Amino acid sequence: MDIAARGLLRTRIEGLVILLVAGGYLWETFNIPDFYQLPDTPGPKTFPELLGLVFAVMGLWLLISPSDIMARIRAKRDGTAAAVAAEPSAAAPSGGLLARIGLDWHFVALWAVVLAYLWFMPDLGFPVATFLLLVLFTRLLGEPRWHVLIGLALAVTIVVYVGFKYGLNVRLPLGVLEFLPI
Amino acid sequence: MFDQLLNGFATALLPLNLLIALCGCLVGTLIGVLPGLGPTATLAMLIPLVFSMPPATALILLTSVYYGSMYGGSTTSILVNIPGESASVITTIDGHKMAMQGRAGPALAVAAIGSFIAGTFAVLMLTFVGAPIARYALLFGPAEFFALMVFGLCTVASLTGTNVTKSIIATCLGLMIATIGIDLVSGAARFTFGNPFLQDGVDFVVVAIGMFALTEVVITAREVHAGTRAQIVKADKVWISWSEFLYSLPAIVRGTVFGFVIGMLPGAGATLSTFIAYNLEKRLCKNPELLGTGDIRGVANPESANNAASGASLVPLLTLGLPGGGATAVMLGALMMLDITPGPLMFEKHGAIVWTLIASMYVGNTLLLLLNWPLVNVFARVMRIPPKFLMPTVLVISTIGVWSLSYSAVDLVLTGAAGVLGYYMRVHKYPVEPLILGLILGGRLEQAYRQALIISAGSNMIFVEKPISLGLLIGAALFLFLPMLLKRSKQFVAAQESAEAA
Repeated sequence: MDIAARGLLRTRIEGLVILLVAGGYLWETFNIPDFYQLPDTPGPKTFPELLGLVFAVMGLWLLISPSDIMARIRAKRDGTAAAVAAEPSAAAPSGGLLARIGLDWHFVALWAVVLAYLWFMPDLGFPVATFLLLVLFTRLLGEPRWHVLIGLALAVTIVVYVGFKYGLNVRLPLGVLEFLPI
Repeated sequence: MFDQLLNGFATALLPLNLLIALCGCLVGTLIGVLPGLGPTATLAMLIPLVFSMPPATALILLTSVYYGSMYGGSTTSILVNIPGESASVITTIDGHKMAMQGRAGPALAVAAIGSFIAGTFAVLMLTFVGAPIARYALLFGPAEFFALMVFGLCTVASLTGTNVTKSIIATCLGLMIATIGIDLVSGAARFTFGNPFLQDGVDFVVVAIGMFALTEVVITAREVHAGTRAQIVKADKVWISWSEFLYSLPAIVRGTVFGFVIGMLPGAGATLSTFIAYNLEKRLCKNPELLGTGDIRGVANPESANNAASGASLVPLLTLGLPGGGATAVMLGALMMLDITPGPLMFEKHGAIVWTLIASMYVGNTLLLLLNWPLVNVFARVMRIPPKFLMPTVLVISTIGVWSLSYSAVDLVLTGAAGVLGYYMRVHKYPVEPLILGLILGGRLEQAYRQALIISAGSNMIFVEKPISLGLLIGAALFLFLPMLLKRSKQFVAAQESAEAA
């Protein structure tokens, strides 16, 4: 599959996803309760219905738009050869499953660390979670020295925690460190 | 008016406000210097902090950061050939060439002077034009406001990004997210799926931090991984000779005027205005062939344009409540959280705050000039902080920003989701600004829509029967088709490419 066709496929999938979201959104408007409402005036459903319709039309347009096909075909005619030469991996994906869908481990690891931090921070507590995040993220950004990593993470965690808690009165969860008298 | 302005100065020059303005200018300049972290993300991260401040002080902080970041962008463009933010892309053309020729000093000096002149002009205009526009807008009813907001959303959709369909999709998604929560008119819960945390709706700060800060962290992390580092040129003496100043003055004046006019339009923003101003300069100036070879006018012009435009974008924000882009949209959201709704009534209801803000912008401009002149080399050194140490810290601070809003784990999860979605959107050229704008304007748009229909007893014709509203809606439609016409213009395509690259 070459780049142009792959881009086209992606546009089509995006269109489909948008259509599905619009469908779900419109379906959900039926669940909005009808309370007392003046006659002849728009209720809580009217505006969302309008939005859902526009969204659905846009999704449909991405799914079937002809001008897009023309652009892709033109790109295919002009640029495929060069593009394939420049990016052989994109034309013929090699490696594992991740590489085949255009991802690599570094990318997945970055997002995994970020999302895990957001997910576990309230339970694990700010100090521990932040320390782990800083160590892992800085490591992923290419700092190999462990003493720098740990020292920096410790320093930033403490400075940020103290600064926000006592300087700006933000309540930060202690989580697993709850027993400490800080 | 002048006694109001003087009262404004009295408040703006209070020690606390002066200190806040100074901090804001410093932070803003640093943000402008650091590539990757843009003004929108920074403003979103600052919002939780401004809750505890008096409204005037909060506004001073936000505007000075916004202003400072526009200012700081030029430093890295000139010294490192990396624009600190997208509005400084054009400056790199001549600015970095000048630095390579050993003329970094004059380039930095003219950028500072040009920005100062342009910034002051913009504030002057805001002083004189703001109140009359607001008074005119008092004639607007719900139908006109609905049309005005549609116009704003359409211009932003048409001028940001490369594909209007994708921009409309982003706008629509923002408006859809805005409908989540309890409907204020009827009290009906909408799209909450029974989750009590969603009843208050999705806070725009959550989405803005996710889509701007989180994605910027990850995108920068990817670039660091790919390994792009730059050489920093050192500026010896930041000075400009009188003859060089006179030589660049016409360019500054033209940049200022064009930047201001273009900047008033929602969606055009600072980036596009620099490009248009630079191209007009090429047509209008003497010896246009010198531009692009390290000509001082090539720095003076876009730098004045971008500062004039960022000042100009506050005009529709304060008088009509219509933000022109990501940064001003976040400012609008912050104002609404402080219980100040920008719009025509703002000059009447919150007159003291508006005039304090305007006065503080005069102060801020002067502060920036005084700060930047001696500290340019210090700021340039900030560039050397490796992103691998900076980005994780940005991530932690943005998380605290979201957490401190309502101490809710749901907000953190939503931020993560917004981050992933924002990353996909950015990589695949769906502009993020329209989404934020839709999210912020959504509530008021629906309110105006419903009020208008109550007035007209349910007839949609009301939007067409009122002349102002009809004009705005026609304008909105025209703007949506504008990119199709502009695609033929090479300059516009190049402008979009440069806007996209940043």
